[in-house]
Amino acid sequence: MEEITVSQNQTVGSVMVVGGGVAGMQSALDLANSGYFVYLLENSGAIGGAMAQLDKTFPTNDCAM
Amino acid sequence: MSFEPKIIAFCCNWCSYAAADLAGISRMEYPSNVRIVRVMCSGMVHPETVLESFELGADGVMVLG
Amino acid sequence: MDVKGSEGDFSVTVKESPRYVDMDKCIACGECAIKCPKKVTDEYNAGTGKRKAIYVKYSQAVPLKYQIDPDNCIYLNKPGRCGACEKVCPAGAINFDDKEKIHEINVGSIIMAPGFQAFNPSEANIWGYGKYPNVITTMQLERYCSATGPTEGHLIRPSDGKPARKVAFLQCIGSRDENKCGNGYCSSVCCMYAIKEAVIAKDHAPGLETSIFFMDMRTHGKDFDRYYEKAKQDSGVRFIRSRIHGVEPVNAEGDLRVHYINEDGRQIEEFYDMVVLSVGLETPKEVVNLADNLGIAMTSGNFAQTSNFLPVLTSKPGIFTCGAFAGPKDIPQSVMEGSAAAAGAAQLLSNSRGSLTQQQTFPQERDISNEETAVGVFVCHCGSNIAGVVDVENVAAYAETLPGVVYVERNLFSCSQDTQDQMAKRIREKGLNRIVVAACTPRTHEPLFRETLKEAGINEYLFEMANIRNQNSWVHGAEPKKATQKAKDLIRMAVAKVLPQKPLYQLSVDVNQTALVIGGGLAGMTSALNLADQGYPVHLVEKTDQLCGFAKRLDRTWQGEDIQPQLAQLTQRIDEHHNITLHMEAEVSAVEGFIGNFKTTVQKKDGATVTIDHGAGVIATGGKRYRPVTEYGYGKLKGVYTGIEFDVARRVGDKNTKSVKSVVFIQCVGSRQTDRLYCSKVCCTHSIATAIKLKREDPSRQIYILYRDIRSYGEREALYKKAREMGVLFINYELYGAPEVKQDAEHGLRVKVMDHVLHRPVSIQADAVVLAEAILANPDAKKIGTLFKLPVDGDGFFQEAHAKLRPVDFATEGLFVAGLAHYPKPVEESISQAMAAAARAATVLSKQSINLEAIKAEVVKENCDGCALCIDVCPYHAISLTESTNEEGITSKRVTVNKAKCKGCGLCQGTCPKRGINVAGFTLDQIREQVVAALEV
Repeated sequence: MEEITVSQNQTVGSVMVVGGGVAGMQSALDLANSGYFVYLLENSGAIGGAMAQLDKTFPTNDCAM
Repeated sequence: MSFEPKIIAFCCNWCSYAAADLAGISRMEYPSNVRIVRVMCSGMVHPETVLESFELGADGVMVLG
Repeated sequence: MDVKGSEGDFSVTVKESPRYVDMDKCIACGECAIKCPKKVTDEYNAGTGKRKAIYVKYSQAVPLKYQIDPDNCIYLNKPGRCGACEKVCPAGAINFDDKEKIHEINVGSIIMAPGFQAFNPSEANIWGYGKYPNVITTMQLERYCSATGPTEGHLIRPSDGKPARKVAFLQCIGSRDENKCGNGYCSSVCCMYAIKEAVIAKDHAPGLETSIFFMDMRTHGKDFDRYYEKAKQDSGVRFIRSRIHGVEPVNAEGDLRVHYINEDGRQIEEFYDMVVLSVGLETPKEVVNLADNLGIAMTSGNFAQTSNFLPVLTSKPGIFTCGAFAGPKDIPQSVMEGSAAAAGAAQLLSNSRGSLTQQQTFPQERDISNEETAVGVFVCHCGSNIAGVVDVENVAAYAETLPGVVYVERNLFSCSQDTQDQMAKRIREKGLNRIVVAACTPRTHEPLFRETLKEAGINEYLFEMANIRNQNSWVHGAEPKKATQKAKDLIRMAVAKVLPQKPLYQLSVDVNQTALVIGGGLAGMTSALNLADQGYPVHLVEKTDQLCGFAKRLDRTWQGEDIQPQLAQLTQRIDEHHNITLHMEAEVSAVEGFIGNFKTTVQKKDGATVTIDHGAGVIATGGKRYRPVTEYGYGKLKGVYTGIEFDVARRVGDKNTKSVKSVVFIQCVGSRQTDRLYCSKVCCTHSIATAIKLKREDPSRQIYILYRDIRSYGEREALYKKAREMGVLFINYELYGAPEVKQDAEHGLRVKVMDHVLHRPVSIQADAVVLAEAILANPDAKKIGTLFKLPVDGDGFFQEAHAKLRPVDFATEGLFVAGLAHYPKPVEESISQAMAAAARAATVLSKQSINLEAIKAEVVKENCDGCALCIDVCPYHAISLTESTNEEGITSKRVTVNKAKCKGCGLCQGTCPKRGINVAGFTLDQIREQVVAALEV
């Protein structure tokens, strides 16, 4: 059975997040806000991912920006 | 001289004030008669403030939120 | 990107491409792009518009810094030619010599969130995409509808620029289609985004007719079915259940013909101005290669392989996944997984938490209480962005005449690092104690200048910005005189507002680094274990005498993983965990407090109570299953079961269910009906999985699934396909022609239903009828909601803070939601959300104290008479009424504000008839002063 266990070895207190869309940004923010140094990688010139291209979002018709 | 109205606009920091910023980024020209007062929510604008604005000489008041 | 090492200690080689623009110098004025002669297709606008070779990705981009596209830049391809951007850049930010950099980065864990690309329909060559100009993709329509898009939100036909009047949406383009695109899976999001676009497009072009051609309408998320019904009934979007296999041109103007077979079996031909292809999601080739390099196992659909029990862990230990990399999904699910992946990484690395982060320090703050007011005004040129329109010298000279102003300075770029240093120096030298910066918008730059005030040793709130760029020079470029006048007015308003400003202090509240989890089902157990592993003490409260909740009744996940052994393992870990205190047969009876400092009282069955102090809480109170009343003969006819009852009967070896030869599943029992207008999300997949099991045991069995829409979203589609291949018969029914179940004259049961493909009623003999029952909200939610002051929606599920971006947060800080308490969902999504809730709670629990923004409501004691009007309007329940008695024995009532709960929205201030409550930094007087100043001249 798979599980995530607390590492018993000394670990490095930083995390790399690959991709700056909504999912990656959320990971990066949560980790940075709970005591980990984060490297956020993005292969284009700005973060935001596909969501930044959307006009409105369902089901509330909120602006995606 | 033609009539130049003075308009006070109370803009919510999170939506209409942001929209006014975006109008700038998009270089959308509009008449310069509006003076924007930034508020943290359009709900904080007191009805008395609106009436007072007219008393103080405003020709129009907008509460945008 | 190259990775060495293992879980806990990876070494990653990262290649950073040159940007050719110095990020520290670029002020995003856009002069470079205006002058750049090279126009190229804009990827951001999905090819509907053009951008220059030097560009920002989009107008609200973060970072808002330009970049040069080296493939298209004239200078970079032929040095010596062009170089226009370098000549015009006022900040000297262009650096053609920029080079690729290689970084070696040491990290404990990696989170993969590379996202998806939209399917490219031109490859299949059947819908005319790329051939007929009026065939576009949904991403392109999204850009046409956007105010920042190529047409500024006007919906016009690309062929002739005429307004579109009739638009068809074709679903499943690049999804559920192995023949034409190789993607067998369902992309999960297209049905909803197509409906949204059809509705929004109508707003953009009144009178527009929109039709959506679909196979199954997959609106399975929270509030999606309601949106679907509204689109049908209120917006008049037309829905046609038919798959379209081709689009033909009609004439030179660009009209298009669509041909289909309708539900009555008739051939229909329709004409449209525009055809929009609802393109699916797929993993880009380079991401597949990257996964391959990293040794991450992928599914046949090219998504990261994960276990349903650990939906955010890839096959490679220490490498997590979130978003569309592990299967197509919508925004809230992606955001949830983003938090869940963070929880996974934090669990793994808990022994090194805080080892690499650092706190900023600032000098001691100067006490200004006995100082004369001394306002300093800094007028920014922003290169030529402001100075090119506004006469800044004139404005600066004017500012010197304003009351209270003792110092004025002009800066080329106020935000540059050297100006910041200089500003701090001036504040100290000149003894300034109120600062006005006339520049761009406080929304982006106020935090930066506040830091400068802190560096200079004065309170960061003694500050105001005059927005003379975004709301002045940029919008009145053609009227420099008026813009100069307006700049003066704006500075006068800012000075008037900052004069009465007092130092404000962020409220620091101590955090009790303990968590409370309510509900001991799968979600609650997962949250509790994650937080406990992260090192936080956890109290887990369960109402019944058993853990595991709803999941106790389930056999396998959709991927076929055995649920009961997993639950046994979780239960054992919880029992043994030194950080977890279990409260069984206990219910919450009272709650008080706020983020960092909650006090929750829990009452045991025997009446004993215990009060738990905690800094954050996770609400995972679960759901319950729907019991059919008398539908389909339930409770009256032998052989009619609900899905779960059928599973349980088979598990315990019940003879009748083991020997069945003909089984009819009826979907949507209790779901998607007027009084319960939502999809229970799990039942289609569950019935299909059971049907496959039945067929596998005995292929001669006759299995029928009567459905309204099959919602096997994502890679679950493979199960649907497999069931069909095994001979399971799927019959579509509509609400108006629901199946009837009767006792059969001979033996067993008889089910009658109208078959929409055969266009005739069919009658099926059945040994068992299995009703796919709905998932309901836990009726306790209302009580818990009242105690914690948390909103519950019309269906009884907890309402999250934001449907898209804060799917596990409550509007009340420090409280989070997970599992069925939020909405029906399968095991893997409950686990994701539970881990996400743990990650969100950890952002609170990891701190010994938290600072809360100082913009808060304050009661004006002499004016408040305790009328309490403000209490009801406060959306954060931050205001309460208190009674006090003075020395003379006179009792008076007055409101008090809980600063930790207040968000500073000021609804109280706008409501109070007696000027009895004010938001610091935005007081009635300050707002009034601004209005007076605005109207003074």
